[in-house]
Amino acid sequence: MHHALHIKNGIVIDPKNGVKAEKMDIFVKDGKIVEESEVKGEDVKVIDASNKLVVAGGVDMHAHIAGSKINTGRTMRPEEMRVVRNIANKFRAAVGRVLLTSPAIGYEYAKMGYTSSFEAAQPPIGAMHTHEELDAIPMIDKAALPVFGNWHFVFKYVEAKDIEKLKTFIAWALERTKGFGVKVVNPGGVEAWMYGGNVTSLDDQVPGFNVTPREIITSLIKAVEELKLNHSVHLHCNRLGVPGNYETTIETIKLAGGFSNDARQVLHVTHVQFNAYAGDSWRTVSSGAEEIAKTMNSMDNVTIDMGQPIFGHATAMTGDAPFQFTLHKLTGARWSNKDSEVEGGAGIVPLVYLPKNPVHALQWAIGLELGLLIDSDKVVLTTDYPNGGPFTEYPYVMAMLMSKKMREGELEKVSPFVQKATNLPAIDTEKTLEEIIHMTRSLPARILGLPQKGHLGVGADADIAIYDLNPLEIDTSNDFEKVYKAFKTAEYTIKSGRILAKNGELVDECWGKTYWVDATGRVDMEAIKPDLEDYFKYYSVELQNYGVEEEWLKKPERIVI
Amino acid sequence: MIIIKPKTEFVVTVEAELTPDLAEKDVGEIKKFKVYYGKDVVELGELFEITKEGDDKKLVLDGDFSRVKWVGCRMSDGEIVVKGSVGANCGAYMAGGKIVIEGDADDWLGAEMKDGEIVVKGDAANLVGCAYYGDATGMSGGKITIEGNAGNYIGEKMAGGEIEIKGNAGDFIGTEMKGGTIVIHGNCGFVGGDMKAGEIKIGGEFELMPTFVKQEDAWVGDVNVKGEGVVRRL
Repeated sequence: MHHALHIKNGIVIDPKNGVKAEKMDIFVKDGKIVEESEVKGEDVKVIDASNKLVVAGGVDMHAHIAGSKINTGRTMRPEEMRVVRNIANKFRAAVGRVLLTSPAIGYEYAKMGYTSSFEAAQPPIGAMHTHEELDAIPMIDKAALPVFGNWHFVFKYVEAKDIEKLKTFIAWALERTKGFGVKVVNPGGVEAWMYGGNVTSLDDQVPGFNVTPREIITSLIKAVEELKLNHSVHLHCNRLGVPGNYETTIETIKLAGGFSNDARQVLHVTHVQFNAYAGDSWRTVSSGAEEIAKTMNSMDNVTIDMGQPIFGHATAMTGDAPFQFTLHKLTGARWSNKDSEVEGGAGIVPLVYLPKNPVHALQWAIGLELGLLIDSDKVVLTTDYPNGGPFTEYPYVMAMLMSKKMREGELEKVSPFVQKATNLPAIDTEKTLEEIIHMTRSLPARILGLPQKGHLGVGADADIAIYDLNPLEIDTSNDFEKVYKAFKTAEYTIKSGRILAKNGELVDECWGKTYWVDATGRVDMEAIKPDLEDYFKYYSVELQNYGVEEEWLKKPERIVI
Repeated sequence: MIIIKPKTEFVVTVEAELTPDLAEKDVGEIKKFKVYYGKDVVELGELFEITKEGDDKKLVLDGDFSRVKWVGCRMSDGEIVVKGSVGANCGAYMAGGKIVIEGDADDWLGAEMKDGEIVVKGDAANLVGCAYYGDATGMSGGKITIEGNAGNYIGEKMAGGEIEIKGNAGDFIGTEMKGGTIVIHGNCGFVGGDMKAGEIKIGGEFELMPTFVKQEDAWVGDVNVKGEGVVRRL
C-alpha cells in the first residue's frame, strides 16, 4: 500500500481555504493532507485528476444511521430488505431499498464521495446498541448525538436554574454514552407524550415539572456554550409536522439571540422543512419558508439543515414520539413506539412521498425554498435520512439548487398546489458550485466543530472526493443532468489517504473513527453524584452498568475539551 | 413442451424460477439455466434430466418438486403441469398462463399474483394469495382453485381475483382483504379480520370476528376499520 498520494492537475474547490476552482495538486501522507515537500522520496501513487473536480469528502451532519430507531425500522419493514446491493465476496453483503443495512450505509456513502456521517439522535440508554451499529458501518468517520431535551435530569436542573449541575450532567452523559454533542428533540413534548399529549408552544408547562420548552432550550444553549463543546445545541423544534408551526420555529431561532460564539453558531436547527408550515390545517397549509429565511438571514449565530424530501420511499423515524403517532393517524401506515425510560421516546412510521400528493409536493418545495432563500453559509444540505428519503439522492438536491431550469422541469411533474402554496416557482436563485460544495463539506464541518474535516488545507484529514466534472467548463444551470450524474458516483473516494471507491466500484474497505467529546475535565463530577445515585432508582439498570466504555468501541477518537 | 425430472432427492431446497418461457429455448440452453441449490449456484442440468417434445409453451415437472421453490414465479403465459407436489412461492407474482399441480402445494401459493390460473389437485399449505410481509397488496387478479384443504392465512390483503377451496381451511381468512372473492366449501376458522371490501363465501362452519354486522343474508364488516366486506353462506 502507498503511504502517499499525489493528486495531480485537479480543479480544486475548497471554500474554507478560499480556493475557487483552481488547478492545483494535492499531496497526502499518512492519512493527512501535507505540503509537497513532505512526500519527497516516498513511494507516491499519482492520481491524474486533469479536468476533474477535487473536493473534500462529504460530511453528513444529520442522518439516522445507527441505533434502535433504524433497526426497528428494518424489523418492521421487511419489504425494504429485498433490494440486494452487494453479494458477500470481497465486501460484506449489503441490502436495502432506502433503509439500508449497516454495511450498505458505509458503501453507499463511499460510492458518492461522502466520508463522514453523524447519527443525529441516540437514545442515551440505547448508547451501546448505537455504537455497536456504528461499528458495523465501514468506510466513514462517525459520531452520535445523544438526546437531552426530555431527560428528567435536564428538567430537574433547568427547574432549579442550576446551570453548573446541568453542565456537569451534560459532561457526564456525553462521557457515558460516548456522545459527540447535545441533541434536543421536541423539548418537553416527548415527556408530555408519556401522558398521551404534546406541547403546543414554547411556553407550555411540561407535565410533572415546572419548566417550559423555552427554558429547556435556553438553559441547554447556555450550558453547552459555557462548556465550549465542539458542536452547538442541535435542535429538532417543537410542533414538528403541524401546519402553522413556522411561527414557533422563528420564535425558537430567536432564542439564540442572547448568545454568541466566535467559532461557530450557538444553535443548529435541524430538518427545518418539517417545521416550516404556515396555515392552520392541512387544507389551508402553505409554505412558511420565506419568513424563516428572513429570520435566518438576519441572525448570525444560527444554522439549519434542510430535511429535503425526495419523492419515493422513506421511513419517518424521530425521537419525537407524539409526532410519529400523529403521522400514523394521518396516513394509516404501520407505527412503532419506542420508550427510553426517563430520557424520552421515539416512533417509526413508513412513508412514501408522492409528487401528485399536494402535501408531499409542498414539503418538497419548502425544502428547496429553504435551501435557496437562506444564505449558503447557514444552510446544510440534508434529507434527514431516512425521514425525507435516501441520502443517495443528495446529488439531486445539489443539482436542483444550482439549476432553475431543472426545477422548472420538476415543477411540471408535481401537484399544482405548490404553485399557490409556495414561492418556489418564482425563485430565480441558482447556487454556485462553490456554494454547494460549502453546504455539503466545509459548512457542516464548521457547524460540528471539526477543524480537520470538510477542507483540503494542509493538516486536514485526507478525505477527498474526485468527480468527473470540470468546474471551469460546466454550465450548472443547463447541464444539470451531467451535474447529477457526476455527484452520484465519485470517480475516486479517498478516506484517510486510502482509495475506497473508484467510479462507483468499491476497491478497499476501512473502518472509520467514532468521535466523542470528553468535557469531564471542565466540571466537578462529584457535584451530581448524589443526584445520579438517587435518580437511578427509576431506571431499569444500575448506575454502574449504565453507559459505554471506550475500549468497547472499534476505533474511538476522544476529543478532550 | 419441456419435461423436467429430478435426478436425485434434494438434500436442501432448490430455488428455481422455472417458467414456460424456458420451453422456447433449446435443451442445451435450458440445461445451463442458473438455479440455487442451497447457497450454491448450479446449472439446471446438474439437478434435473431435461427432454424436449414439440414446441408448445409448456413445462411438465415430472416427479417430486416439493423442495423446489419459486416454480412459475412471474410467468405471464404458457402452462406448467407439476406431476407431484410443489414447493413454496409457486406462482408468486404470476401475471398470466396456467399452473396445474397434481399433488400438494407449499406456502405462499400465488402470492401477489396479478392474473392467470392455478389449480391444485391436492392440498395447499398456508398464505395462499397473500401479500409478502410488509407489502400492501396480495393477490389482485386471476384464480386459484384448491381441490383439497388449505392452511392458515388465505387471501391476506387480497385486492382482486378469486380463491376457491373445495375442502376445509384454517384460521385468518381474508384478513385485511380489499377486494376479490374467497370461496370455501368446507369449514374454516376466523374470518374477515380488518376486512375492508370483497366477499367471502363459506359452505361449512366458521368463526366470524365480533366486529361484523348481521344483515339480511350476510354479515358486513369489519366495522373496526369501517370496512364494507361481505361474509355469507354459500
